[in-house]
Amino acid sequence: MKPSETFRERKPYPVSLPMTNENGCYEMRLESIGGLGANLCGKLLGELGAVYLGLNAAAFSSYGSEKRGSPVKSYVRWSAPEHEILHNSPVENPHLLVLFHHALSKTLPVTAGVNENCTLVVNTDATPAKIREDLQLYAGNIFCVNALELALKSKSRINMVLLGAVAKASGFIPVEAVKELVRDTLGKKYPAMLAFNLQGIELGYAGVTNQKFIPDGRFQKTEYREIRSRWGYKNAPVGGVNPHFGSTVSNDLSPSREGFIPLFLPEKCIHCGLCDTTCPDMVFQFLPGEYRNKPTMMNRGLDYHHCKGCLRCVDVCPTGALVSGKESEHPDKKWFVRNKDLITDNLDFEPQGADPWITGESYLDEKRVDGGLM
Amino acid sequence: MESAKQILLFESGNELAAHAAKQINYHVMGYYPITPSTQIAEYLDQMGADGLHTIALMPAEGEHSAAGICYGASAGGGRVLNATSANGLLYALEQLPVQSGTRLPMVLNVACRTVSGPLSIKGDHSDIMYALNAGWIILFADSPQEVYDCNICAIKIAEMLSLPVIVAFDGFFTSHQKRNSYVFADDASVQNFIGPVKRENTALQPEKPVTIGSYMNEPDLMNNKYQLHLAMQKARTDIAQVFAEYAQLSGRMLKEIKSYQTDDAEVILFVLGSAYLTARAAADKLRRKGKKVGVFTLGVLRPFPAEKITDLCKKAKTIIVADRQDSYGADGGNMSLEIRAALQQKGLTPRVISRIYGLGGRDFFEEDALELFESCCRENAPAFDYIGVYPGEEHFKPQPFFNAVTESENPSLISCAEEGGKVTAKGATVRDTTARPKRLAPGHGACPGCGIPVNVNLLLRGMEGNVVLLFQTGCGMVVTTGYPKTAFKVPYVHNLFQNGAATLAGLSEMYHKMQQRGELPQGDITFIMVSGDGGMDIGMGSALGTALRNDSVILFEYDNGGYMNTGYQLSYSTPMGAKSATSHLGEKQWGKTFFNKDMPRIMAATGMPYVATVAESEPNDFIKKAAKAQYYAKNYGTAYVKCLSACPLNWGDKPNTERKVIAAAVNSCYFPLYEVEQGCTSLSFDPEEKNKKIPVSDWFKMMGRTKHLCEEKHSELLEFIQQEVDLRWNRLKAMAGHPAL
Repeated sequence: MKPSETFRERKPYPVSLPMTNENGCYEMRLESIGGLGANLCGKLLGELGAVYLGLNAAAFSSYGSEKRGSPVKSYVRWSAPEHEILHNSPVENPHLLVLFHHALSKTLPVTAGVNENCTLVVNTDATPAKIREDLQLYAGNIFCVNALELALKSKSRINMVLLGAVAKASGFIPVEAVKELVRDTLGKKYPAMLAFNLQGIELGYAGVTNQKFIPDGRFQKTEYREIRSRWGYKNAPVGGVNPHFGSTVSNDLSPSREGFIPLFLPEKCIHCGLCDTTCPDMVFQFLPGEYRNKPTMMNRGLDYHHCKGCLRCVDVCPTGALVSGKESEHPDKKWFVRNKDLITDNLDFEPQGADPWITGESYLDEKRVDGGLM
Repeated sequence: MESAKQILLFESGNELAAHAAKQINYHVMGYYPITPSTQIAEYLDQMGADGLHTIALMPAEGEHSAAGICYGASAGGGRVLNATSANGLLYALEQLPVQSGTRLPMVLNVACRTVSGPLSIKGDHSDIMYALNAGWIILFADSPQEVYDCNICAIKIAEMLSLPVIVAFDGFFTSHQKRNSYVFADDASVQNFIGPVKRENTALQPEKPVTIGSYMNEPDLMNNKYQLHLAMQKARTDIAQVFAEYAQLSGRMLKEIKSYQTDDAEVILFVLGSAYLTARAAADKLRRKGKKVGVFTLGVLRPFPAEKITDLCKKAKTIIVADRQDSYGADGGNMSLEIRAALQQKGLTPRVISRIYGLGGRDFFEEDALELFESCCRENAPAFDYIGVYPGEEHFKPQPFFNAVTESENPSLISCAEEGGKVTAKGATVRDTTARPKRLAPGHGACPGCGIPVNVNLLLRGMEGNVVLLFQTGCGMVVTTGYPKTAFKVPYVHNLFQNGAATLAGLSEMYHKMQQRGELPQGDITFIMVSGDGGMDIGMGSALGTALRNDSVILFEYDNGGYMNTGYQLSYSTPMGAKSATSHLGEKQWGKTFFNKDMPRIMAATGMPYVATVAESEPNDFIKKAAKAQYYAKNYGTAYVKCLSACPLNWGDKPNTERKVIAAAVNSCYFPLYEVEQGCTSLSFDPEEKNKKIPVSDWFKMMGRTKHLCEEKHSELLEFIQQEVDLRWNRLKAMAGHPAL
């Protein structure tokens, strides 16, 4: 059998991987929530390795239903061209970890498997030292970049800025190769966006600040572990029957929010109930009371645990009693009222993105920047 | 055969299946979207929009019909493709022996996924093993590259043998993973390899009429099946021949059986699919420690390469067969059973250990492969077991969060009265019904701004007393019941979306029968099915059957105009011209090609007692109609209520604007609000009378999926759609004005 003629359409940039694991791979993990473009970013990094850097590459994501605002993990493996990639399982000990959303740090074990050789790229306006504290990070080289601000500045997207930052943080990916990749792929699909995207990459490349942390005993390593539920084959009701009715109430959906929340001005409220007809998340708490000397159902406030920040209520409120506000400016909310139907005070909230699964290949998926369409 | 020029791509299994299909340029693809195989049709639709192929893509209303489209198309003599997964394969299963028994070649890609229930979308092999007895050749690819290679070989093999061929591969692990892959630079290389289509007997030759699908009695049928058996025998050599020719063209040799380090191995592990590569890495590690271990897998499941397997295993002391599915009660998955049988036939007596792993897409790490090798070599290792299961926390008792929402917990707020054949509901106001406890708990996982919980809550506000809910498969079900949690505070059942209405009818009947026999207390329960518009496509027959029997249930449809749970493929209710993942815009395409289905009129034609359309932009009207639906379900039979439900993710609009978008759909008369009570139509809201009527383009421009229709170049199409909207509206007005309609 004579080998078939195969060829590359371009000459790859010469790179050598600065380090590999025992399987010969340089591994990356991207942690995000649906809608920020981590899935696309992972694919682009895979393609970068395969086509532009002359490497063997594999890229895949943790997949699920097509939801926005839910946790996404994207994995990339690179190896030298002569080395076949064998593993199809998630990246456990990344050489490079990208966090698309600072808020992820408080919710999910996103830094699992990180050791002192890991380079982290974090989308944040905070410093590496602050991030290390937030993440309780064992060790690693933290690169911070304010990707949201730079995306808005360049009119590109968070994932473009992060691609630039990854190139810089990696120490071996030529930024020219990244730009060529984006020119060939997204540039062809969305030509009008190309100049903005290229600028986003450049701003990301130039906009990182980093600090290296050695294992100093302040924080422990977190091992990569499967998340297990408390029901197993011995105690779970057979057939997948779930007797724990209403149990989603213990989900804290605040990680789904993208910076904005409805603020409640009770003095303006006429208790018409329209907010309660438009809220998809049962946030409003109506209780019997007296309004203008008549007994009626009254809006007593919001349970923000379940508010995803869609702001539907602000749009329908006829009196301006509900207005949009930046969440960061309202840490204390006087009108925070616990769900009125709860029969227990003892509730351990579990932070969740919208759906515990992730977004996939929805054709609009990659065209969004934090809350709006491009 | 000369080798052909190839280029490097970085693509997934699904992308490469689509790429191969485009290069083969099939005549017809019949399909119905199901994760994780859907992308194949999506990519082909995009390529079709860009003018890269001329395949006719036909979206069926369910997999059974998709298989029917393929059967008919292949009876015509051309080249035919389909792609499916999991319950899609099972729904089509009845058609598979029809295809093979009448010897019509085609290719079906199966991106393997676990079979419901409980429902999961992730990958395992429980679907593909149902196809073992279907008379189809089954190729199994363990990498994206092999998906491409197998697809090109499959059509050639199919036509050589007049047999249909399945190309199976792991859902997600292979279907969605991108890898360095090589494809032929010129489509002509593929075309030359497979050759021109030549079929002897087709249903499209009037000058040579043939009967396809005879009625057959026993001796003939037996002979027919023997022919099928002979074809499978011949396939062993034909497949090898095609693989060899393909190797000359591509430089890549596909194999019926692939092995690694098995020559001198004492312990051999069998795994199918993507896990084979991971297992190889584990074998390397153990070899470095001096352990004599090897791994093998199959590239062809039918015909089963038994002789090659026994050849490979003849020196081994232990064979570990790890299956990603179980043939429950047989102490092994199907590959275990077949490998054991093959060994027995040759008189080989190695120890065979069967293990079940990786169900429902559970990842297979290298550590799992190492653990398999180590644990199965122990003397006392059981012959059959599962790996990776755990017992759970012994004393775990989840604490209750709420009281159940029963009749006694639920204040009586609404009363219905009947006069002159019309029912009126009193007390169903927005403000007062805030007192109704929510039957759904918060904390569900719907996207921010999703219309489904909004509409379900509005419906339930109109409901007095006890309710039991049934959700058909769809976003609404997935985001509320992710184990180990559930949002429901009332009894709830899920069934697959071909069958929800019938399931609920059975449940409702059981309630009444058990009450009659004194086995359940007297009282009332309202039975409500909640379905998306996708469920009302594939489940239309079941819903119509329920309405025709006039069972005492409410059927509620949230119509967001697409299969959103799988990434927005077109449904029959998607607006004409709207773009979706299976109706892309491009040089050759302008979105969906046919009008939105008028489901309320179809339901009304059954003569059912109550049909209503509702919109969240008219919440008082919505709640009243919900209350009336309950009244009709209790006193007369089936009620059907339909709302238009916003999907910010796929409509391409902002979550906070959705109520305005819904109002615009109502005001444009695209989604008119009306009722059909005992056959008589009445309008609930007349935008013309209220001076609120807007052209449909004013609604279209609010959404990313339709705003292109407002561009000058689509003006004719827009005019065409507007005419249909006007026609339906005028027809409705005429009916509302007539006492008998």
